[in-house]
Amino acid sequence: MTTLSRDSDIPTGRSRRVRGRPLLYTSYGQDMALLDTTAKRIWTLVLVLAAFLLSGMLADRSLEVLAGAFVLAIGAIGLNIVSGYAGQISLGHAFFVAIGAYTAAALSGPVDGRNLGFGLTEIWIWLPAAGLLAALAGVLVAPLAVRLRGLYLAVVTLGLVFLGEHIFKEWDHLTGGPGVGRQSAVPTLFGARLDVDGPLGTREQSLYTLMLIMLIIFAVAARNLARSRIGRAFSAIRDRDIAAEVIGVPITRYKVLAFGISSFYAGCAGGLLYVMTGFVEPGSFSLLLSVQFIAMVLIGGVATVSGSIMGALFIVLIQPLTRALPGFVPFISGDTTVTPNVFQVETVLYGLLIVLFLVFEPRGLFGIWIRVRNYWKSWPFSY
Amino acid sequence: MTITTVQTVETIVTRVRDRASSNAVALRHKDFGVWQEITWAEYWNQVEIVAHALLALGVETGDRVAVHSENRPEWLYADLGIVAVRGVTVGLYPTNPASEVAYLLADSGAKILIAEDQEQVDKALEVLGECPALERIVYLEPRGIRGRYDDPRLLHWDEFLFIGVEHRGEHPGAVAKRMAETRPSDVMTLIYTSGTTGPPKGVMLTVANVEFAVEVLVKSGGFTSPPPNERDQTLSYLPLCHVAERAFTVWFNSAAGVQVNFAESIETVQANLREVQPTILFGVPRIWEKVLAQVNIKLDSASWFKRTTTRFWLRVADRVGDALVRTGGTHTAATRVLYTVGWIFCFRALRERLGMRRVRYASSGAAPIAPDVLKFFMGIGVRMHEVYGMSENTAIATANRPGRVKLGTVGEPHDAIELKIDEATGEILTRHPGTFAGYWGNPRATADVLDDDGWLHTGDVGEWVDGTHVRITDRMKDIIITAGGKNVAPSEMENALKASPYIKEAVVIGDRRPYLTALIGIELDVVGEWARRRRLPYTTYRDLSDKPEVRELVQGIVNGVNEQFNRVEQIKLFAFLPKELDHEDGELTPTQKVKRSAIARLFEDLVEGMYRR
Repeated sequence: MTTLSRDSDIPTGRSRRVRGRPLLYTSYGQDMALLDTTAKRIWTLVLVLAAFLLSGMLADRSLEVLAGAFVLAIGAIGLNIVSGYAGQISLGHAFFVAIGAYTAAALSGPVDGRNLGFGLTEIWIWLPAAGLLAALAGVLVAPLAVRLRGLYLAVVTLGLVFLGEHIFKEWDHLTGGPGVGRQSAVPTLFGARLDVDGPLGTREQSLYTLMLIMLIIFAVAARNLARSRIGRAFSAIRDRDIAAEVIGVPITRYKVLAFGISSFYAGCAGGLLYVMTGFVEPGSFSLLLSVQFIAMVLIGGVATVSGSIMGALFIVLIQPLTRALPGFVPFISGDTTVTPNVFQVETVLYGLLIVLFLVFEPRGLFGIWIRVRNYWKSWPFSY
Repeated sequence: MTITTVQTVETIVTRVRDRASSNAVALRHKDFGVWQEITWAEYWNQVEIVAHALLALGVETGDRVAVHSENRPEWLYADLGIVAVRGVTVGLYPTNPASEVAYLLADSGAKILIAEDQEQVDKALEVLGECPALERIVYLEPRGIRGRYDDPRLLHWDEFLFIGVEHRGEHPGAVAKRMAETRPSDVMTLIYTSGTTGPPKGVMLTVANVEFAVEVLVKSGGFTSPPPNERDQTLSYLPLCHVAERAFTVWFNSAAGVQVNFAESIETVQANLREVQPTILFGVPRIWEKVLAQVNIKLDSASWFKRTTTRFWLRVADRVGDALVRTGGTHTAATRVLYTVGWIFCFRALRERLGMRRVRYASSGAAPIAPDVLKFFMGIGVRMHEVYGMSENTAIATANRPGRVKLGTVGEPHDAIELKIDEATGEILTRHPGTFAGYWGNPRATADVLDDDGWLHTGDVGEWVDGTHVRITDRMKDIIITAGGKNVAPSEMENALKASPYIKEAVVIGDRRPYLTALIGIELDVVGEWARRRRLPYTTYRDLSDKPEVRELVQGIVNGVNEQFNRVEQIKLFAFLPKELDHEDGELTPTQKVKRSAIARLFEDLVEGMYRR
């Protein structure tokens, strides 16, 4: 009887927008749309086009740096899913990145090489495999997160990093051992190697394009995840897990899912991360890498995808600046054996930036952008 | 042999029926955060079901059916369904307290009441004994009613529709047959006057009256130019039982296909305006004054840079407004340039925030308004027109036409109507096919306002301006004759006072008194904000009014207004109203007009105090 108010023969729920009324939503689809205004559509398109065009304009060295930043951004988005959206503090991100990196390296490595290898160089094989294996590890760790919260969870995930570091240093056949390392994953797409100069341009140009496409895929997927039922469940758990459970969110399932998805992102990032250098060393997956990811998330903006990308770009792009420091500040050395050197300065800088951002702009770079946008959005008033 | 052809009479219902094949949007209402769209096909289907349900409940030609609800699609379904079965729609204000509900239901003799929710049902149940004719109460929202109340007269809207669907199945042509019998002389609605002086009177409007209004106001563009069309959007937020909102919502919608968007409630009008960005916007003076006050509050609390730039552009708007007032609403080359620059920096964003970015026609009516308020809106680019009409002449009298605006007047008489000003009394008289059929059950009152030649005595005193436009001085009954014998129109002074954002209510007193005084009510939001910025602590409305600083502030405004008038017309003293005026307490009419007699009675000691010194 309740359906009587609307005749079912007549089509309803049309999703057509009313022209010139950006705030008039006639369906939930419009309300939830990623690019809900024309301005957003145009600017996103411009930004993406500009990013692609950069590959023909920048020097190869810069492209390599940017490509690295894009991969780190994928990892940062992954950390943001578990820590930003679902609110589960994880210091163990480097561990999952390592699993991805070695899965990819092993799968694509030469069969008869010095290290473990299966000769499957096709990227569409080793990339998902890297992600899935890392996700599996994440799902195995997740039950801990179901029982622990906050600081305790942070400590447990911190343990993962040390555990991983030890395993990878000792497992010579897979990793080549500390200080030696092994060849990283080889990207081949339908028989064409992407890490050599080819028809798509130089090695750096094709890798840059590859990483950009990957980033776009992962970023869009994360945005869509965040606005789905799963994303809302994550936010509910983050804001108050008991309340979330009361309103019917199965906490265990969603926490496991959050770790799984986050680790998948980390694994994929790991697989791609060392493609540029062509070489992976077990010492790289230390606590510092985890801290770097956390810095990206906090500096970029918690629970935002664009913030993660901004954070990754920021962290990567301050490196050339710090590397140039010895030229201006004489007592800082570019040599790792001397104290203070630029690498120490960098580490101190990460810590300092995290502190400053948390104190002054907890929403990170994205928060600054929101502030600027709201300033003009609320024109001519202040609210 | 004679052939009798049944000439079907066009009504607002047939107009909706004729659009029923269209899948375009007729109505929108916000539900669960989303604007749900209702097509003409759905709209007509609902109207038909309601009409069948009314037939099934035994509504006969001329039976009154009351609707007591906020604006929502069901109001329109009910209204049109009632008219389809030749019934008479009686609208009740949602704010009507139980005592007034009793009066309106008893006076109209309504057979069925369509009540929105528990609040309205409770009012009706409370006074059931006084309304013997009431047979059924149909409620729209079951919350708090279903399962708790067991009065056999109660019927849920869904059950009501179910009855309609069943009836349609059994008697498919019954509604069409009843519609075909419609005569132009059928009374289709009773619009109760707001009753500033006595009990409300039911104005009978016939099918012919409304058709004439549709012809003059909608079809030939009596208000808007060009006439309204299917692409226009309106926001329906004022009570639909008032003739103005009925015209802008129901008649504009059915006759011109204007898309109607229902505001969620009167509190959310600002937000809804922003979302809908209507193209045609009607407001009562209180609404426009409130928007202006809001702009000032928000500007005062804006950051320094925003405040300074916007204040600058508002001064520019003031100049543009002045120029537009001189030209009657058409831009000169200079103002167009000035406005375009201001549009980029301020007006575009400001209008977007106010929800008036796309307004092509805005109008104010139903009560007098201060010209300064209108000028503000003209200056920022909202084409503002003051219009005049009343229930008794189906809202057809005068309107400022686009491009021929004269500020301070209510505009020119519509084409095809007769309007004259009585030379002896200055009263405005109108005569046209829209003149009402009489007051319901009150032939004596009808005879008082409708003379033998068909002239309607509006009760408003007016004068010609430049021979084309009409300026209204005041309601005849409100004219004050001071002890010195001077005629004073209080509404002019009151509106000048109310043009200040700090003043919400102003009642000028002085009939048969030695000098003029005023009762003034402050605008709590604005004065509160003003006090907050001066770090002036206060607790309640009354406490704030009693502050010497506030008195000083208002004295300044009163002095400013006094300068505009000659000496005998100046306000000597004023007192603050100790409370905010309210409909529930009988101080205001449902349309927020002040009931002078009630005020004079309630605050007698305040008034006497001002004359005792």
